[in-house]
Amino acid sequence: MTTFKQLCCTCIISFFTITAFAETSVIVSVNNGNASIDKNTISKIFLGKSKSFPDGSQALPIDQNDGAAARESFNSNVLGKSASQLKSYWSRLIFTGKGTPPKQSGSDSDVKALVSNNPNMIGYIDSSAVDSSVKVVHKF
Amino acid sequence: MKNFAKSLLLASIGIASSSQANDLNINGFLSVGASMLDNDKVEISGYDTDGGFKQDTILGLQLSKQVNDSTTVTGQLVSRGSEDYNTESAWAYINFAANDDLDLRMGRLRVPFYYYSDFLEVGFAYDWIRPPAEVYSVPFSSVDGVDATYRFSIGNWDNSAQFYYGRYTPEGAGVDLRNFTGLALSGQTGDFSLRASYHRLEIISDGTGSFGAVNQGAAALIGTTGSPLNTGLLAAGYSNQDIAGAVDDFTLTGQEIGFYGIAAGYDNGDYSAIAEYTQSFGDAPFIPIVNTYLVKAAKRFSDITAHLTFTSSETELDSGINETIQKSLMLEDKQSSIILGARYDYDSSSALKFEIQQLTEDMRSGAGEIDETGMLYSVAIDLVF
Repeated sequence: MTTFKQLCCTCIISFFTITAFAETSVIVSVNNGNASIDKNTISKIFLGKSKSFPDGSQALPIDQNDGAAARESFNSNVLGKSASQLKSYWSRLIFTGKGTPPKQSGSDSDVKALVSNNPNMIGYIDSSAVDSSVKVVHKF
Repeated sequence: MKNFAKSLLLASIGIASSSQANDLNINGFLSVGASMLDNDKVEISGYDTDGGFKQDTILGLQLSKQVNDSTTVTGQLVSRGSEDYNTESAWAYINFAANDDLDLRMGRLRVPFYYYSDFLEVGFAYDWIRPPAEVYSVPFSSVDGVDATYRFSIGNWDNSAQFYYGRYTPEGAGVDLRNFTGLALSGQTGDFSLRASYHRLEIISDGTGSFGAVNQGAAALIGTTGSPLNTGLLAAGYSNQDIAGAVDDFTLTGQEIGFYGIAAGYDNGDYSAIAEYTQSFGDAPFIPIVNTYLVKAAKRFSDITAHLTFTSSETELDSGINETIQKSLMLEDKQSSIILGARYDYDSSSALKFEIQQLTEDMRSGAGEIDETGMLYSVAIDLVF
């Protein structure tokens, strides 16, 4: 019984730990000239409404794969849309040739590797995966 | 044309595996639907009381490829059950991005008639099974020509202006739509969007084909001495000169027709609403002026969206002799519908939809007074891939 209670406590604690501390960072290359980027601008870049960073350089948004925790958090916190709303949004653009969604490029480490090597790219990863190869321009 | 479509389809299947590597984008949409009308006193083109699976079934396949930094080619093949699955290129164009804000396109384009025109057949992109026919009534959706789209921001508004010019000759209808041009302005800020558009064209008919024969037949009746229509006009006190003028007006040669449309939308994720209004104009009394609108409200409950729409269309006749003739030819049309529906998103790229439409027909073109009500029950599955 005690063991069961302990198990429950552990579960509850770990659940809160995950939800409370799963912070996501929006990242660019260390060679990107922008110090910080606001949520509205990030949202415009990821929705295809803007093709450049605030400093005027070209912006290439990179998504994580469907279902990734960071992606779901990014969709709801930054873009303010559910997965099916986003699919519907992109359907309207894809089938008119007006835009294509950001490329799905794997998980935290894949996105970090891509972004660190290209000053035009912008992605998002779990804050725990951030290291000196990339620069954080926004956190949520 | 069909062979071209087939070879493109085969080519696309062959390349599909390496589509990411050489930047050839392949996207598709599919809608399959079933529907049944509860009585045959009302008429909705393509639907009947025996039920059917064809009318709302549409397959679309789109290929696009970035040729160089500024140039993209796009082709969209659409196969519609309502047209016996004949494949048509709804889009086939080259896009040249002059800069980040200006796109120039040439080829076959979709005409930006309405709010939902750009993705008219991509059922997944909206809540209805099909956009209401009262408003979405132009019987074709593409033009061969050029267009320019300019994107700009004013304050918090993200806007675009699209201008097009072209020509469209529907197969077998005996009409040629020339100097076909228009402008669509749209703006979006936060949860709100606004749209205004203007379209006009010159209609030329050589008297052949399904449409031309009917038109020229009707025009001939007006001027033929002894025909009931001609006799009626003389009895009503119109002179032979009035009648000759009317024959000219009713014979479609070079008249201008067109329409204005305005729309406003709101979507905060939970609640959404849209209103759209169109008003046509023209100097071709054989195609009467028509005013249409729709108002739709929807509420999203997680994966389920419930929606309700009121929509109506009504012709507006000319005056004098043209009105008398329009009435005799039974060109008046008046109908309205209430559409109640639900959409269930069962994953991020497929949706199941149910719809009940109550149609009230007051007047029907070619049949006069109707005053009947009927129900159309529909179910559909929409996918994008």
